Amino acid sequence: MRQLPCPFCGARELREFVFHKTLPAAASATADASADEFARTYLRVADPQLSVEHWQHVHGCRAWLLVRRNPSTGAVLAVQMLSGTAP
Amino acid sequence: MSTPPLRRGTRIGTQWLSFRFDGRSYPAQAGDTAASALLANGVRLMGRSVKYRRRRGLLGAGPEEPNALFNVGEQPQLIPNVQATLLLLREGMSLASQNRWPSLRVDLASLLQAGGGLFSAGFYYKTFIWPSWRTYESLIRRLAGLGAAPLDCALPHVAIEHLACDVLVTGAGPAGLAAARAAARAGARVVICESEPVCGGELEFEGGHIDGQTAAAWLVRTLAELESLGARILTSTTVITDNGGEFIAHAEPGGLPGHNTMYRIRPRAMVLAAGALERPIVFCNNDRPGVMLLGAAERYLTRYGTQVGRELVLFANHDRVYASAQRLAAGGMAVRAIVDTRGADALMTGSAAHVLRDSLVAAGVECLAAHAVISANGGSGVRAVRVAPLHGGPPRKIRCDTILVSGGWSPALHGGFHGGAARAYAPPLDSFVAATSTETRRHAGSANGCLELGAALADGHAAGARAAADAKATGHAGVAPQGNGDPSPRLQAFARSPAAPAAERRQFIDLQNDVTVADLRVALAEGFSDIEHVKRYTTLGIGTEQGRSSAVLGAAVLAELKGESLAAVGVSRSRPPYQPVTLRSIAGFHVGDAVMVSRRTPLNDWHVAHGGMLEPMGLWMRPRYYSANGANPFDAAIAEARQVRTAGGIVDGSTLGKLEVAGPDAAAFLDFIYLSKASTMRVGRSKYMVNLREDGMVLDDGLVLRLADDRFLATTGSGHGTHMLSHFEHYRALHWSGRGVTVTDVTEAWAVIVAAGPRCRDALLQVLDTAWQAPIGRLGHMDFADGSHAGQALRVLRASFSGELAFELHCRPAGAVALWEALLAAGLAAYGLEAVDILRVEKGYLTGSELNGQTTPFDLGMAALVKQGNDCLGRALLDRPAFHEATRPRLVGLRACDGRSRFLAGAQLTTAAAPDRPQGFVTSSVYSPTLDQWLGLALLARNQAEGTQLMARDPLRGSDVAVHVVAPVHFDPASERMKG
Repeated sequence: MRQLPCPFCGARELREFVFHKTLPAAASATADASADEFARTYLRVADPQLSVEHWQHVHGCRAWLLVRRNPSTGAVLAVQMLSGTAP
Repeated sequence: MSTPPLRRGTRIGTQWLSFRFDGRSYPAQAGDTAASALLANGVRLMGRSVKYRRRRGLLGAGPEEPNALFNVGEQPQLIPNVQATLLLLREGMSLASQNRWPSLRVDLASLLQAGGGLFSAGFYYKTFIWPSWRTYESLIRRLAGLGAAPLDCALPHVAIEHLACDVLVTGAGPAGLAAARAAARAGARVVICESEPVCGGELEFEGGHIDGQTAAAWLVRTLAELESLGARILTSTTVITDNGGEFIAHAEPGGLPGHNTMYRIRPRAMVLAAGALERPIVFCNNDRPGVMLLGAAERYLTRYGTQVGRELVLFANHDRVYASAQRLAAGGMAVRAIVDTRGADALMTGSAAHVLRDSLVAAGVECLAAHAVISANGGSGVRAVRVAPLHGGPPRKIRCDTILVSGGWSPALHGGFHGGAARAYAPPLDSFVAATSTETRRHAGSANGCLELGAALADGHAAGARAAADAKATGHAGVAPQGNGDPSPRLQAFARSPAAPAAERRQFIDLQNDVTVADLRVALAEGFSDIEHVKRYTTLGIGTEQGRSSAVLGAAVLAELKGESLAAVGVSRSRPPYQPVTLRSIAGFHVGDAVMVSRRTPLNDWHVAHGGMLEPMGLWMRPRYYSANGANPFDAAIAEARQVRTAGGIVDGSTLGKLEVAGPDAAAFLDFIYLSKASTMRVGRSKYMVNLREDGMVLDDGLVLRLADDRFLATTGSGHGTHMLSHFEHYRALHWSGRGVTVTDVTEAWAVIVAAGPRCRDALLQVLDTAWQAPIGRLGHMDFADGSHAGQALRVLRASFSGELAFELHCRPAGAVALWEALLAAGLAAYGLEAVDILRVEKGYLTGSELNGQTTPFDLGMAALVKQGNDCLGRALLDRPAFHEATRPRLVGLRACDGRSRFLAGAQLTTAAAPDRPQGFVTSSVYSPTLDQWLGLALLARNQAEGTQLMARDPLRGSDVAVHVVAPVHFDPASERMKG
């Protein structure tokens, strides 16, 4: 089984993690917030070389992770803790 | 039964045993495979083909075998699709051929063959579509081939072993052993997987010398050295897939499921040296019993002393055929002719092959250069072969009973393939090799195109040494073994013999799936040109065959038909597992109760002891009803619901998800998560709240309690607790990192008993510590109070999901049973989930089916919550115009027009005007004892007003019931009972 390097726990098997979603390839920024939200939610463009994803180490430390992957090769490019400030 | 003369071979002993095949008894020697023993008994017909039901015999002697698949044993524990070439016979074993009815010799479905090209490529796609596939499915499934599914499984648990090592070597042939030796000498911890029961690979047949010893002596010494260096050698173990850096190897000793082991091996570096599989050449009727791979004939002779035939014709495109011919002749078989597709000048003067040919010619073997086998004659077995010069000239017939064919070798790149490794065309092989080696995955031997012993040893040694270095082993790998064996085969690309267009229907590429050259032509003519499309359209290399004998051959024929090079066409990818694996091995110990974990409430044992019939809800087990209350769930639930409305009942609510959200920013955080505001609640109050997904759909609902200024308890649906925990944690990480809010799952810290019904307050006053007298009397609807009972924490929340006066008692798990039993003693009765549903639907409360991920708060009648103006998660998208169209659903109530007919959840709601166009569907329905009729909740298009008459159509269960639309709240619309 593939492993994912959790920044907190180290390399752990994929079965400990749960995938949540792929982020849109390019964030749109227009004056219309609702249109932006719509585009982010529904109009996703897949980049075959880079997928930015939210995962959770559910059966481990429960950290939410920002994972950058190359879907064409399956290579994991980077994993970091998901963090951000209030919307 | 007279005993035949004893055969001698490297894999068989001298003891006799007997086995049965299609009802007849045969003798075999210990160590025989089903294939070798049947051949030795003169049995050549071993199955019929899956589509055309043509008679089939053995093609190979190992994992490449596409034809001879047997059912082993008897129902109910029969094991299907076992390859005869791998199946080690045991005393009394019973085998049966497949794809035939009523018997192997006389098969009714083979009459279909009379229809000629009836089942051409795409036949199923094109033919069985009117009126629908379903019309034909059952008939086709009965005719469909391969083994019978076992009715039962008595196989023991598979053993599972996790291995971590420095270097994993796949294949213990010359290259693999050289790699393993180099890595082990360098100090690496080595694991070797060999799919055969013994190591050595081609050393078993090929003579040759290594480091001045015979190959056999070198093999013995090398294995001993590996053992002494601590290498682990796993025989009868095939690496079936590369699972992202972890390799799954499956050991199935004797070729039959039984005492199997699954190895999960995580090496630091990997050397793939799995050798190559011989491929046939395509000619007309090349599927007849008696057409076999050249290498297979040598294997049967060496390993089992079995002669594959009496009179042989050999057909090949390389030098090695001459050495093989000599060994087969020495084994007592008459070689009638050697048909070489290459010109007379292909053999270099003075080369070993040239010398061999001359001696074969001198011994009376006809050696034909620039010739090809055009077709095989004979229906149930080869009787003769037609050969013709490749550059014009009439064909002629040569009598023989066996045609041995060899069109070269295709590297077995399975592990690399599944890891996504690129493949490159290698002209010397006319096949594909691994294009790239990486630090963690190297290829050696045949996989790198090294078909000569010396080259394979050197290549293996180098790969092993590098892999050891990659794995940080620091020792010295020593010098590579020097070997010389058979020289290069000097192969010349040749995939199929010339044929008239009509004969292409009998030029078979994939024997297991009955794919012919004609099928590839059809695919091309219909626009399927890419090799992967051709594979899917024609079924080339699907099923358990997975292209082992057909993939490269099919690609080569396709290249010829397209007029392109094989390099340009490429080869289709095979799927894991490389070898068929029984589901039992894949399931491991995850069978029966161990398929999934289950969660039990603190009251579980009480439920079970008192007739509670459990059902799963998410991972939780909850009582659906109590058997004492009725003979069936329906009657029991009605009795339980009536009891709640008339007196009072208690239900186990411990499965509710309970998340404690605390910190100075807790209120703001919940304001973001939930549609209505938590920040405006006062301490001691609770509120029914819903939350949304980011696309605006309702995710979950539940009560939120404000425990303190900076502390809340959010309850979730029973099946949603773990998901909601992740949801909370997700948005906490995303927007609230470093802020003052924590989320703690306290689901199992509290048992919950819900007491409901007109008498429940009296029961509480009677049961709870006296300190509760005043608070219970004071609690208003949706208020709660904290305290203690019997020395343990207790929270009492007055909230109702039944429409009755009700209290939720949150107590510590240890005290739950005592409190539950005390409430029963005070006159309340236990009820289950069926009754909960009745009570909820009567009151118009959501049952869970309405939160289906496709409903917005507007659809569910919660517009008032949206108006509170929270800028919460998912709020932005609620203003999308599509969410406000007249055809969006709306939660409504339903009743049967005649006041008594039954309608069920799932029924589609239609109008008289458009009976085929559903306007909505029934989400929940119950029989209400209170109102003495069936009630439903439904999601119905908003333009269907209250009072409208509709049909609840349920064609699958065969009911059409006239219903009319009412308000969702069927009972006590003013909520006087629960607020009183």
